[in-house]
Amino acid sequence: MDQFTFDIKIVADGKPLVDIRDFSLQRNRVTILLGESGIGKSLSSRGIYGFLDRSELTVTVNGLAYEDYLHTDQVRGIRRDGFFVFQEPSSHLNPLMTLADQIGEGSFSGVPGMPEVLRTLWEGTSGEDLDSILSIYPKPYRPSGGEKQRILLAMALEKIDMLPDSPTPEALFVFDEPSGSLDNQYRDLFLSLLLDRYRKRPFTVLLITHDYSMISRISGWHRDIMDKVQFRELTRGECGLAFHDFQPGTYTAWVDDLRRSAESRRAPHGQEPLLTIEPRLEVFGRTLVITKDPGGKIPERLAVPPGRMVFVKAPSGTGKTTLVKRVMGLIQEGAFEATLKGMPLTGETPRRFWQEQVWGKRMTMVFQHADEALNMHSTMRKTLLGLPLRVPLTSKGLSRLIGDLFEGSEAGVLLDKNIRLLSGGQKQRLNLLRGLALDTDVLILDEPLNGLDFESATKVISMLLRKMEAGMGLLVISHNEEIFDALAGADQTYYLHAV
Amino acid sequence: MKTRTKGQAVFRFAQRSEQHVRWVCFWIAGLGLLWLWDLFFLNSPALSLVRTALFNSLLAGLLVVFFSMTLGWGTGLLVYSLEKRKNTLPYIVVTFVFNLIRSLPQIVGILLGYVLLTALIVQDILRSPFLQLVSMSFVVSLFVFLEVMDLIRERIAHYKQLDFFDAMLCCGIKESRIVNVEILRKNSLAHLVHKGVAVFGMALFLQCSIDFILSVGLSTEVSSTNFPATLGSMLARMDSKQDILAISMVFSDPSYVTSLFTRHLQGLNIAFALVFTLVCAYNIANGLVRRYHL
Repeated sequence: MDQFTFDIKIVADGKPLVDIRDFSLQRNRVTILLGESGIGKSLSSRGIYGFLDRSELTVTVNGLAYEDYLHTDQVRGIRRDGFFVFQEPSSHLNPLMTLADQIGEGSFSGVPGMPEVLRTLWEGTSGEDLDSILSIYPKPYRPSGGEKQRILLAMALEKIDMLPDSPTPEALFVFDEPSGSLDNQYRDLFLSLLLDRYRKRPFTVLLITHDYSMISRISGWHRDIMDKVQFRELTRGECGLAFHDFQPGTYTAWVDDLRRSAESRRAPHGQEPLLTIEPRLEVFGRTLVITKDPGGKIPERLAVPPGRMVFVKAPSGTGKTTLVKRVMGLIQEGAFEATLKGMPLTGETPRRFWQEQVWGKRMTMVFQHADEALNMHSTMRKTLLGLPLRVPLTSKGLSRLIGDLFEGSEAGVLLDKNIRLLSGGQKQRLNLLRGLALDTDVLILDEPLNGLDFESATKVISMLLRKMEAGMGLLVISHNEEIFDALAGADQTYYLHAV
Repeated sequence: MKTRTKGQAVFRFAQRSEQHVRWVCFWIAGLGLLWLWDLFFLNSPALSLVRTALFNSLLAGLLVVFFSMTLGWGTGLLVYSLEKRKNTLPYIVVTFVFNLIRSLPQIVGILLGYVLLTALIVQDILRSPFLQLVSMSFVVSLFVFLEVMDLIRERIAHYKQLDFFDAMLCCGIKESRIVNVEILRKNSLAHLVHKGVAVFGMALFLQCSIDFILSVGLSTEVSSTNFPATLGSMLARMDSKQDILAISMVFSDPSYVTSLFTRHLQGLNIAFALVFTLVCAYNIANGLVRRYHL
């Protein structure tokens, strides 16, 4: 019994959502689970933990009906000794209790150590500020997503500290996208805190993530325990869902390649930029400043040259998405100045101008959440054929376009399928494809690698490189800093600050 | 044995099919059975009257749905486009007019409309019974379409909050197509069908109430005989009322119950068709809410 093994099947309205035969986790090891979003990573791990709604789903685990599975000693042990950090931190927190009350209830009641863990995760924040955060009744918009996430991570770390010295074989700690709302600084801090505890006393961890830069972080900074860390990928094959081992070297070698090829491709300076944005702009009463230095001392005009990628970095919540929406003319409030292929764009530019000259013609944007950005009641074919392209798509052109991001057999099946039935990764690829198909001069990408598995991410990056070779200018905001740092280079990286 | 298998199949269908489909089938089957019963037990002149009244009422209900959808969709788009303009005066004026209509009790508004229609009929301007039915339906829809308009505006507002709207704009897709095709046709069909069913039930109820009021209350000057027969006007007829009052006879003489379904068929028939249709419409609408999580 050196591993947890689950055979899990989840069905909704007669349709199978998840059917995994070999969900196995090595006991007292760290398993990093990768894979495209919507494939069933979160759902199956929540199923194992006993969190699924029996009124809506039919679940069987290890051949047992869910009701029977929930009464097994294994589930009781998992829930008693372990902890589950949900992907969406808001869903974990009770809006009718202050955060301070919540971190002291249940198995945490009377635990004196919690503030210490919290202080570590809030390094640089004064005790008073931390107290004011803890006095909040959580709402969807406050505290910030990153703060809520850190509260949950603190609870999980505290639960790890509470483990008895004797082995607890059923203790399972699940972290579902623990860095989804965290900046890299806090992500790295969390990883250190988790793995330091693991070094002292091993326990079983399942960490679900799309953040591939965790691989570099672990293999670079926690090399001593690499033999205890297992990287696995959940993929959908012809025989259904299956786990595969993922070699961390595949990712790190790919990033190195990207860095090298980006270096060799750098175009000479002096080209007329496609897009420029003046460094100070106002949106909803806030002033945003663009700088070249991380410290934010010297405002600098942002310029997107042809064939280059510009990467804009900022901590979560600074206003990166607000900035690009302002640049796209979707928010028309506050002072703003930019030029697009020499045409001035300001806060006074009429909406008609954006419609006739900018949107889908000279500049377009790929939104962060494919689920929101796409019409769920349409199909891939209708979505792409409905685009106002300069040259209408023929069926051959459509196949070629789809073939860039989808496998041949996969594309044929998905072409006329309702978009809401696609996996998260497939939706994101379609979301990207729609923006790329327009062939505009400038393309703005908001978290382009959201929800993608490694293979899809490599295809997307290859397609972006081809577009850049053709002269397209890219403006990117992303939490996958490692990949885009490699692609953009330091000279094309800007920092956004809210003042 | 064969009948039993068919019965089982029907039972299985009723169990498995979704609520709205089940109630559509009940409604059609119920009206079909009523029709058959009438063929056997209702005298020919009464049968003809009941048939015309039922047909007219259902047609009027459908016409109200059509007019309300058209008016609601059109005015919804009008208000949406006025809302975006810098000059807010047209928006204020238009919403004031709509709020004025909203403030008027539906039944009073429709009665006023009927006064106008009566005047047109008396002056021989509205001669054709079909045109009279269309006009009656239009008057009813004038006091119902605001519900559709509110739905259209609510759907557009919902999608405008999401990235959906902006993402399509950024792709160069025209706003009119985003609103009419992507939001209203592709993403609001279930909502519109649900609203259509509710409007149908409401129209049937309002029209029958008005016809009943006209026939009973406004007796001599304005006679409902000028308008095409509907379930409401039929219900107000003396013989129908007597049929319904005959139900009370059952309390003193329970054996009289069989006579209700043969001798007093006209009034009961009309009352049943009306109530049954309204119950079915209510359940179909509820089924749609459940099925499509509206």
